[in-house]
Amino acid sequence: MSAVATAPRPPVRRRAPDVRRWVTSYVMLAPALVLFGVFVLYPLVGAVRISLTNSSGIGQATFVGLGNYRTLLSDGVFWKAALNTVLLAVVSVPVSVGIGLGLALLLRDRLPGRGLFRALFLAPYVISGVVVAMTGRWIFDENVGIVDRALTGLGLPAPAWQSSAPAAAVSVVLVLLWARTGLVVVLYLSALQGVDGDVLEAAELDGTSPWQRLRFVLWPLMRPTTFFVTVLMVIETFQVFDIVWVMTGGGPAGGTELLVTYAYGQGFSARREGYGSAIGVVVFVVVLVSTVLWWRMQRESEEDA
Amino acid sequence: MSNHGTSRPRTSSPRGPSASRRAVLGGAGAGLTAAGLSACSGFSTGSSGSGESGGGGGTEQLTMLTWAGDAEAKAFKALADGFTAQGGPPVKVQVVPYSEILTAVDTGLRTDNPPDLFRVSYTDVGAYRTQKVLADLPDAATLEPSFLPAFWSAVTDDAGTFGVPHHTDTSMVLVNTAAVASAGLGPLPTTLDTAWSWEQFADAVGRVQPSRADTYALAVNWQKAGAYRWLNFVDQAGGRLLSEDLTSAATDDAGALKALTYTRDFFRKGLVPQASSTRGQPASDFFTNQTVAMCFAGDFLLEEIEGAGFEYTATFLPRDVNASADLGGNALVAVDASPRKAQALEFLTYCAQAQQMGEFCSTATVLPTRKDVDPASLTYAVRPDLLPLYVQQATTIREQLVDQVVVPAFSAVNAQLRDRLDEVFLGSAEDAAALAQITDAVQSVLTR
Repeated sequence: MSAVATAPRPPVRRRAPDVRRWVTSYVMLAPALVLFGVFVLYPLVGAVRISLTNSSGIGQATFVGLGNYRTLLSDGVFWKAALNTVLLAVVSVPVSVGIGLGLALLLRDRLPGRGLFRALFLAPYVISGVVVAMTGRWIFDENVGIVDRALTGLGLPAPAWQSSAPAAAVSVVLVLLWARTGLVVVLYLSALQGVDGDVLEAAELDGTSPWQRLRFVLWPLMRPTTFFVTVLMVIETFQVFDIVWVMTGGGPAGGTELLVTYAYGQGFSARREGYGSAIGVVVFVVVLVSTVLWWRMQRESEEDA
Repeated sequence: MSNHGTSRPRTSSPRGPSASRRAVLGGAGAGLTAAGLSACSGFSTGSSGSGESGGGGGTEQLTMLTWAGDAEAKAFKALADGFTAQGGPPVKVQVVPYSEILTAVDTGLRTDNPPDLFRVSYTDVGAYRTQKVLADLPDAATLEPSFLPAFWSAVTDDAGTFGVPHHTDTSMVLVNTAAVASAGLGPLPTTLDTAWSWEQFADAVGRVQPSRADTYALAVNWQKAGAYRWLNFVDQAGGRLLSEDLTSAATDDAGALKALTYTRDFFRKGLVPQASSTRGQPASDFFTNQTVAMCFAGDFLLEEIEGAGFEYTATFLPRDVNASADLGGNALVAVDASPRKAQALEFLTYCAQAQQMGEFCSTATVLPTRKDVDPASLTYAVRPDLLPLYVQQATTIREQLVDQVVVPAFSAVNAQLRDRLDEVFLGSAEDAAALAQITDAVQSVLTR
């Protein structure tokens, strides 16, 4: 029996199905690879190339090597935008994940109108970011907005959402949470549906509290989803543009300037396309490195477990 | 809690819902079909029915890229039709959103598929001019005497004239009639000679008492790309942002410092909303929702403000050493690389004639740039009582200021003005240090 099991198969009979499978795989992948190459890889290479020039967007550009990157090092606005971007990620991602998981656990029960709640939570994510931002801008308007009117009516101080940098940052974070927590909820709901109920039942029979079941049973089972959600949210945070651009334009006094809004402003408003591209390349590298590091940490953590 | 898990299907992956291969293929097919359809129908440039005019489609058809509101689109169509009726080739007027115009033009230039003509703001002409994108106007010498010098200089340099100054607009002070009457301000200045001085203007603004805690006296239209309108104050004070040779930032300019102090006082004294800084909301929004009693606004906004539902009038910008107003409006330019350059230049010359300019200005509610177009002869549909005042105000657009806002790097200068003014208006630095902050930033983009 063992001799039969270990005997090598004839190479010809093995290679043919492999080749066919590879061909089939690549044929199936081809549309995605073509789209990726045309709409992601090619523009990415183009952005790197432009970042090495002094391009203004029109006419001939001159090769400046790493000049734009050297300028970045001494550009105070760039560093301020980088700090703002990192702070936004540090604050908004854990809160998004926490609220998303909490709502998913609540919606996991067969509540009346559960589908409606899911739709309501997801709606801000699927509608235009500009619409969400416009709504946020009016809600948080420091002169005619409903939030300040309500706070004033309650005798509380009304924050200057547009002219105070900390208040503006808070309003952006709140709208950002509103806009994308729905996606986190849906992703966690999907993951929760795959949890083996017998495991939870066994834990309950062992006398665990709901918190212990969440902490020691559900949370470890949710780890792949949490990893995915975290990476997705970090990437989205580094790409946030529409909400900030519409709500604050990066102001006041640069208080909500992010790397992407700064890159856009330099590339298009100021006609410094090469410099704007350099900022974009830096954002790409930072996100790529962060994702790889996070992925390795996650893998090592799973191996240790 | 235990029954929750058992009641769920166990086939779903913890990473997310699964999908059958057929569903994936179907979705991909639908996506590609949608992408193909969107590519066929055109996604951003509008349909031929709403975004284009002009007939033909033959090889000699000219294409002009522009942004336009309804009235402007109608005025451009009339120009295109008139040119064709006179024996010129058909002109396709391709309308794109204002925010897309530069990207659309630049993309066409880069792909060797530029429009034959396009509309461009005066502050953007310099960037195209220095890249030798624009065609030199052959009959410039004939046309020049008919145009007001400030506008002609906006499209001209030592190498030639690269377009026609098609129209202008500028700012005035709009005033909520009821709010100002309650402040007892009396008759507003109705001629340039009697325009308020800076001191009189500051006094008037200070006397306009807000009716509520969240209302203010004034908003100035220097938001976003309008940041350069702050230079009105600098020029009024006899100062400069750029040096006389336009190659560097003017340092320690007394007029610029006076203007900065004057405008920062609006914020320090709570006369303007903090949110009306250069990165804030448009001044006209504050005026239409009656958060402010007065605002600086261009004539092109009158149609929008008319719908606000309250009475308002206009008076002139305040004056200090000089009376000065911002250079608004746009030029029409032809692309040098166009295979139909000669016909495109003929169209520019046609548009620059007095009759055509007058008709365009009447329809689009903008101001003429020719000396021989009598504003009194124009029939404006919106606030015909205020447009003559704007015409008077436009005569205070000074070449000294125009020269500074049409330098090739002005887009970058304007972006620095927007960001740095926002910081100093809302910040607490000393005025001299704040001015240095602005001029250093401007210098940094001029030397690159």
